[in-house]
Amino acid sequence: MTSPILASGLVRTFGSGDDEVRAVDGVDLEVHAGEVFGFLGPNGAGKSTTVRMLTTLLRPTGGSARVAGFDVVTEADSVRRNIGVALQDAAIDPLMTGEELLRLQAVLYGLPRSEHTSRANELLERVGLSSAGSRRVGTYSGGMRRRLDLALSLIHEPSVLFLDEPTTGLDPMSRMALWDEIRRLNREGTTVLLTTQYLEEADQLADRVAIIDNGRIVREGAPEQLKAGVGSPTLFVRVATDQEASASDVLARFGELRPTAEGMLGVGLNGGAGEVSAVVRALDERGIAVDHLELSAPSLDDVFAEATGHRLEGAESPAGA
Amino acid sequence: MTATLPSPRSGGLAAANGLALRSLRNIRRLPSAFIPALLMPVVQVISFSGTYAGVTDIPGFPTDRSINWYLPLAVTMGASFAGLGTGFAMIRDLESGFYDRLRMAPTSRRALLLGPFLAAWTRAMIAVVLVSLIGLALGARPVGNPATPLLMFVAALGMATVGTGWGLGLAYRFRDMRAAAIMQLTLFLGLFLTDAQTPIEIIDGWLEPVATWNPLTRILHLARQGFVEGFDPRDTIIGVVVMVVLGIGSVAFALTGLARLDD
Amino acid sequence: MSAALRTRSRGARPAIEQTAAMSRRAVMALVRQPSLVVPSLVFPLFFAALGTSSFGRAISIPGFPEVDSFLDFALAGSIVQGILFGSIVSATALATDIETGFFDRLLAAPTSRVSIVLGRLAGAMAYGAAQTVVFVLVLLPFGLTIRGGVIALIAMMAGGLLTALAVAAVMSTMALRTGSSEAVQGSFPLLFVILFFSSAFFPRQTMDGAYRWIATLNPISYLVEGFRSLTIDSVSALAVAQTVLIPAALAIGGVRLALRSLQRRVAAV
Repeated sequence: MTSPILASGLVRTFGSGDDEVRAVDGVDLEVHAGEVFGFLGPNGAGKSTTVRMLTTLLRPTGGSARVAGFDVVTEADSVRRNIGVALQDAAIDPLMTGEELLRLQAVLYGLPRSEHTSRANELLERVGLSSAGSRRVGTYSGGMRRRLDLALSLIHEPSVLFLDEPTTGLDPMSRMALWDEIRRLNREGTTVLLTTQYLEEADQLADRVAIIDNGRIVREGAPEQLKAGVGSPTLFVRVATDQEASASDVLARFGELRPTAEGMLGVGLNGGAGEVSAVVRALDERGIAVDHLELSAPSLDDVFAEATGHRLEGAESPAGA
Repeated sequence: MTATLPSPRSGGLAAANGLALRSLRNIRRLPSAFIPALLMPVVQVISFSGTYAGVTDIPGFPTDRSINWYLPLAVTMGASFAGLGTGFAMIRDLESGFYDRLRMAPTSRRALLLGPFLAAWTRAMIAVVLVSLIGLALGARPVGNPATPLLMFVAALGMATVGTGWGLGLAYRFRDMRAAAIMQLTLFLGLFLTDAQTPIEIIDGWLEPVATWNPLTRILHLARQGFVEGFDPRDTIIGVVVMVVLGIGSVAFALTGLARLDD
Repeated sequence: MSAALRTRSRGARPAIEQTAAMSRRAVMALVRQPSLVVPSLVFPLFFAALGTSSFGRAISIPGFPEVDSFLDFALAGSIVQGILFGSIVSATALATDIETGFFDRLLAAPTSRVSIVLGRLAGAMAYGAAQTVVFVLVLLPFGLTIRGGVIALIAMMAGGLLTALAVAAVMSTMALRTGSSEAVQGSFPLLFVILFFSSAFFPRQTMDGAYRWIATLNPISYLVEGFRSLTIDSVSALAVAQTVLIPAALAIGGVRLALRSLQRRVAAV
């Protein structure tokens, strides 16, 4: 069987002439059957544009893609029948009830009329919205909408599921619940492509991840493998602003300097965690007072920083806000 | 696992029905979006026939009841704005992203379009029946062959189609509220640059050639027969042909607009 | 020389200066956003042109006043129509100020409360007078004649200014009560109805029954007929009085309503 998602040289430009923007600039992607694939990148990196092309919403400017074995341009209808999509910005009509939306979705996907009610009830129960099914979506909380969105994408039991930022803006409890549901779907055999800005989410769920930046995929592989590739742990140090320059000199002796948030210095410790005390001593000898010190094992954020030269926005607090 | 799905073509009509049902449910759930479209032709028929009651005294005016002249105008105008209403709803769906959900469904694109048209025809008929009843209460009296007034409803369906196609096509192309302003303004001007207020024989000056060549004038003539001069085969044929051509053109305009959303 | 020393919060002069500043802001807002004002200029002219072509032969029907052309008859309705619709722009701007919080910022400053509203109204007045002149100037080359001459034109400008004040004050009352620009704009159909149930577009004398009765009760009829008389007859005291005093009376009532609503809103803050 061919891979459920296979893209080669996918390009998408917007505008023309001098204003031309290459939102997606030659993306190759292969997602294997039965895996959860994490698609990482900051806003505007080309994530959503890639997903919109893979889900038949947007025609590629160049390259080609096959989803569920069908070409996204010439066999769009067959692609649509085999994928489920929960898009971050595909709003749910607030005037409709959850049940009405599920029934409409069932009609649009051509399910036999006799199955509409049972299928809608089954999915409402599955995402824990049975008691809210007859209420208008306008009264739902953010978490309930996401769960309904997921239920809608499952109406036709798709073999490939696209989830675009499924947990953005959710509280930690709702996020965990949604993660459990995604794991369960994956166990049942659904291939999942998940875009996220939250590295922890990718770490928790994804078998493999791809990092996209400026329209190109800059890293791809299993999270452990990518983290091992970065190797050394990162030591974050904060010192007084006027001492940053000399502190950088000192830190550079212990390894390669890494990008950090504003006001921080970061270094990949070549000698591993054991070198922390040596770093502190060296800083002390130069008369540099350390305000804050933090050692972090290699994370996907380090992978991201190493690959792109900057850290992922909002990655610091995946469970926050 | 997906073997239970029937072919995508077979569900087309059901899908269109489902979409139309959603739109019609919103009449009750979002009345503020429907009531203006309903009240506008009502206000128009009352105020035009009242304000311009004296036009029937103009030598050569073809009816002695001003309401008979202005009822078909209000009906066609109300029907076309009922069509535009689906254009407004489309802008809301496009702006919110809800329409992406529909476009991702394996529903034929024609079914996606047929839904709004079914809804528009229903909405138009609600408005048209209400306006007609008010017109009759205000003294409108059909003339000639008792079947001829039905042509007004035919013309209304035609204008609802034109308004829907025009509205959807503009909504797909602009994808924001600019489309709403353009669709209202163009249709409004289009319908007034006809013999909307007085017959062409009575119009003097610049409007005469404009109204003569404006195709919407022919649709108004189709609508008016049952209330002004009675059945006229020539007006009927010309009116129906113009209506069909404009209807097909506007549906094509909507269909090409829908295809453009993928670009 | 501290800033506090230079701040005068009481007395008539600062209030006048502030009102002038707020008026300038209101007028500049209209000048800088032509898309707001163009409809209230173009639509009345469009209907004047349409009516002149459609109803050209109506001037000879029984009950129609003695006129040279329908255009002369239509001018008054166009002016009042334009001013009615234009006043929505000012009131919407006031409601938007409330929605965006700019209004609260003004309240927090030692600005005279009254000047906030009067500034908007002054902007509307300036626009009303300007609309009157624009309509006359645009229609003159198309055969418009003002029988009353310059004196009539001056009276019409004064009437336009006061009409704008009256309507803008009533609409501002709505803006102050609701604080919603949508509610203000939603009143558009209501203005349309008020205008149509008057003699703005056709003579009262040609109407029948209940419709004629309503138009006869509608003060807008007399206002329009004042403007119309100045256009199609020679200047008369009655016409000037109708053109100026009717909107003046409406304006006094409207401004009182607006100021009372302002007080309520300020007290509620």
